[in-house]
Amino acid sequence: MITFNYICSFFLIVLGFYTIVTKYNLVKTVIGMSVMDYGVNLLIISVGYHPGGTAPIFTQGELTAASSFVDPIPQALTLTSIVIGACVTAMSMALVIKLEESYGTLDTREIRRLRG
Amino acid sequence: MSMLNYHHFPIYSIMVLFFGAFLIAAIGGRDIAKNRKTTGVRAFIPLLATAASLAFLIALIKPVMLGGEVIAYWMGSRGISNGYAIGIALEVDALSLFFALLIATALFVSAVYSIKYMEHDDNIGQYYILYCMLGGGVLGLVLSGDIFNMFIMVEILTFAAVALTAFRTKVYGALEAAFKYLVVGCMGSTLILTGVIMLYAQYHTLNLAQLAALIPGTMNNATKLAFALLYIGFSTKAFIVPFHPLAADAHGAAPASISVLISGVLTKSGIYGIIRLTYFLFQTMELGAMQFMLVFVGSVSMFVCVTMALAQHDFKRLLAFHSISQIGYVLAAVGLSTALGISAGLYHAMNHTLFKGLLFLAAGAVLHETGTTDLGKLGGLSKKMPHTTVLFLIGAFSISGVPPFNGFASKWMIYQATYQKAVETGNIGFLLVTIIALITSVLTLASFVKVSQSVFFGQLPAEYENVKEVPFGMRLAMGILAVLCVITGLVPQLVTRYLTEPAARAVFRVGDYISSMGFASQTPAPAVSFAQVGVWEPISWLLILCIALLAVTIVAVAGKYDRVSVRSSETVDTKYQLFYGGEDNFHSQVGGGDLFWGFKHNWRHYFSFMHDLHSGIVNDYALWAVVALALSIVFVMIVL
Repeated sequence: MITFNYICSFFLIVLGFYTIVTKYNLVKTVIGMSVMDYGVNLLIISVGYHPGGTAPIFTQGELTAASSFVDPIPQALTLTSIVIGACVTAMSMALVIKLEESYGTLDTREIRRLRG
Repeated sequence: MSMLNYHHFPIYSIMVLFFGAFLIAAIGGRDIAKNRKTTGVRAFIPLLATAASLAFLIALIKPVMLGGEVIAYWMGSRGISNGYAIGIALEVDALSLFFALLIATALFVSAVYSIKYMEHDDNIGQYYILYCMLGGGVLGLVLSGDIFNMFIMVEILTFAAVALTAFRTKVYGALEAAFKYLVVGCMGSTLILTGVIMLYAQYHTLNLAQLAALIPGTMNNATKLAFALLYIGFSTKAFIVPFHPLAADAHGAAPASISVLISGVLTKSGIYGIIRLTYFLFQTMELGAMQFMLVFVGSVSMFVCVTMALAQHDFKRLLAFHSISQIGYVLAAVGLSTALGISAGLYHAMNHTLFKGLLFLAAGAVLHETGTTDLGKLGGLSKKMPHTTVLFLIGAFSISGVPPFNGFASKWMIYQATYQKAVETGNIGFLLVTIIALITSVLTLASFVKVSQSVFFGQLPAEYENVKEVPFGMRLAMGILAVLCVITGLVPQLVTRYLTEPAARAVFRVGDYISSMGFASQTPAPAVSFAQVGVWEPISWLLILCIALLAVTIVAVAGKYDRVSVRSSETVDTKYQLFYGGEDNFHSQVGGGDLFWGFKHNWRHYFSFMHDLHSGIVNDYALWAVVALALSIVFVMIVL
């Protein structure tokens, strides 16, 4: 089952790349970046998965050699990654708003004053 | 441990910058009332923070550079448990410290410069918050011993750099440059994170030293993929080909004090990442194919970017392309995997920070006084800004590799290193690299002759009659860098002994890096000879330069040279004139608009092809990133 997660996560990352490369609308570019981020988040959380594992929260004495739980580190990493992803989206949307104000368009083919 | 034990200094040097950012925010990010007093305080905090950071790092030179110690520092005293690193660590060897010193120097100088340069901008509080975040992020990246922490720092520095690029939102193209940088930069960061996670899935650790102990010899397809992802991720941070257009856009639009950081600091962090990845984590640089990859990308970067620079007519954009061209030198030299090559590459990395910083600050000074960086509109500023002109010329001589300035010292070492490698391996390809490096150096000189002609010499346009010299604070910052450029050029023996040689030795001592952290190392330290490093005499070149200058002066004074400069009204038909010839071009100082029109005319197909290729559409740049990723995955899968 977990293999399916891996396939999906890489599919999402590649889909994000595809969106960024082929879509000429700035908002869609931002969506592509988000999709890419979600793919990575899914990958991270799948890496920590342990069949039959519980949440990695134990009190003193509860933890025995037999207790099975998922790897907590990827969960911490995912949280960090989600926060960063939200910041990326916020900042790029802010830039998109400003770009729309000054260029009057959302088409990437027209936002190319700097070239050559 | 006492608070002043030098083992704490790496974390202090990072935290002091982040704390500075916090403090500025606490004072208040916005200046609603335009309160001059708090503005002064806000400019003072980053100055103090960067100075403190630099001081902490300088204090580490003695134990790390000279004593050869590797500082392993566990945060929150959580170390190793059951053979696995469970804490977050900082690990500082000579290589980390070398890059950290460069970064801290650039940060300090740029903070000095910012006081006057950014004086008239509003929201100066936000500028300094981002400035300190950027500094802390880069220092955290190079001093970190934990690969996930490296990713976090990469994100912090990318964010701060993007925001600072767009800081002057009204500048031509600033928003556009920031958006492109954000899109491709985020693709790079995502690749780094994916690579990190794939390594974690294989080895269940994020500690760099432990990964370096585990990875070599146990590589499977997943780790190879991780290598390719991390390599491209760090390439986007170093702006090497094919990511150079982003650097050019960002440098051109950002305030000059930030251009210094983007070229002197961010590119270095990318190069540092590539060195850590190839020499330490995967230890793949023994392979000829990996050496080929770095040397090839480096050579392509240096040549493509210098030709792109020749076609530019914006001062800062031109400097940006030169910046990446010089990074190409660094990468090609580092990729040689010889003692001389790595020393040369690191030496050039240091010089690049110094002279490129100086040139960007000079461009900023011109912008500050005239309000433009368009080469066609400027001219004759040497009469109005003599100090800036002299400082700019020192930077231009350094980057062009004119002896006895520092660029010559490191470029000479790079020629030596590539030639030596060609002789040792019998591979003609490395000789080709020597030749490309030489040609690039000549083209760099040509380009800077053009810049100095069109900005500082020639005719002064009437609108700049009232231009004044820049304030002392800005000249001081440029002066510091100029003095460092001259010193590092005149005493290469001292530079190699105290800075580059320890750092280059650290690259070969992967075993020390692993065992200092408390892990068992499998790699024996290779026997490397440093005998060839830095054997040449710059003082004699200084004498030759002085004699030549004296001769020119005597001839000029004795011959009573014609003081009248070329006036455009007199030059009716400029087409057939020596040097100034060529087609007429309006907005232009000298008749033909360009000193090298013949060269450019002969190469017009190449130049127009390159111009069309750099289309400025973000989709194209993203596509280049994807293609580079695909190529590197295929290459790595085949050769590793």
